[in-house]
Amino acid sequence: MTLDLVLKRSPDAAYRVYDGQATIVLPSHASVHVLNPIGSFIWERLDGSASLSQILERVLDEYDITREAAEADLRQFVGSLLNQGMVS
Amino acid sequence: MSSSPVATDDRAAFLARDESRVPGDFEPGDDYFATPREPFGVLCLRLEIGPLCFVLNGLSDDQAAVLAKRFRPFVDTREKEVEEGAPAADLTIRFARAGVDAFLAAPRGEAEFYRMGRRATGSRIAIWSYEFAGTADIAQGHADLALVDADGPLFERGVENFLRVLTALHILKHGGLLVHAAGVVRHGLAHVFFGPSGSGKTTVTHLSPGDTILSDDLTLIVKAEDGYAAAGIPFGMAHHRVPDTNGCFPIAGLHRLVQSPEVRRERIFGAKALAEIACCLPFVMQDEPSAGAALAIATGVVSSVPIDRLLFRRDPSFWDVAQEAAGG
Repeated sequence: MTLDLVLKRSPDAAYRVYDGQATIVLPSHASVHVLNPIGSFIWERLDGSASLSQILERVLDEYDITREAAEADLRQFVGSLLNQGMVS
Repeated sequence: MSSSPVATDDRAAFLARDESRVPGDFEPGDDYFATPREPFGVLCLRLEIGPLCFVLNGLSDDQAAVLAKRFRPFVDTREKEVEEGAPAADLTIRFARAGVDAFLAAPRGEAEFYRMGRRATGSRIAIWSYEFAGTADIAQGHADLALVDADGPLFERGVENFLRVLTALHILKHGGLLVHAAGVVRHGLAHVFFGPSGSGKTTVTHLSPGDTILSDDLTLIVKAEDGYAAAGIPFGMAHHRVPDTNGCFPIAGLHRLVQSPEVRRERIFGAKALAEIACCLPFVMQDEPSAGAALAIATGVVSSVPIDRLLFRRDPSFWDVAQEAAGG
């Protein structure tokens, strides 16, 4: 997965962020997901305006974390979202 | 990063539903709903359910009598003279003969989930199953219900299934939710015990013999002046209780039922509480607009009502910990 990708949340996904954590409902999958704070931070920025590399920089600005770990987790997370049709 | 940002808490399917198709199904299209149909009669019945008001039109004498008895505490029995002072109906539903023997093909011996078809376009929704097909314009407040049978179990089941869905959708407009939950009133305060089928909702009502039961299956959460209140709905189907009252009661707590050898209460907060409730909202999670509206309302509920996971066993001891939510 290239970090040049610009992804957008699925319009079918309903979500709310409460106390920094996102609760996401996927009607097409009849499923509900809760993201941890960093996952929620990324989710909110998947609005089709920023590349994954730009989002990675925002994560590094916001959290005390190494670039290597953040990039690995970002790739894993976004891969999971893509597999579940939550972003495109 | 101490923890991966992947989804931390994925839930199983929030409600079992079956929208599969089988040979012999008749799925009513827009042309079916646009065709005028013969009403059963000229009577009407007015139901008041929490803040909702439904008017059922086109009923025969027998149907009006059967439904008035079945929905008794929720029927507005005021004389016609005072009708002008009554609140405007949220929804007027015209009952009519379906003109077909069935919509979805009936199960052939083997057990199956109750199947229900659904199509939504803007504020219009069409719903159909074996014995009924209905369409409603949520924004305009009009609905049509075509029923295969004029009386008997299929008539009553079709009416209740359609009205349950409309209740779940319409209560969103009032800032409320229909929750898969038992509602029990003790000392004037409502306890809402929610969870999927098999979690113990009916058991809880059986273990509360001296209390007012709002429902053992579906409970309304409605916006009140000071927080939220709970109310029952009359559509209990044949196997659920119809409540003795249509009153609204302040909510002491929402309890996610978990059967367990031990009895205790674990507070849950924020997104996890929101997810627990979202998993128990029937009929509104099938598309993004209503799911988004329901999540927004549930967020308000989570921020003002204590929510917990209530570990309980089949005896009344759960009340000792449930009432901690009310400070009692």
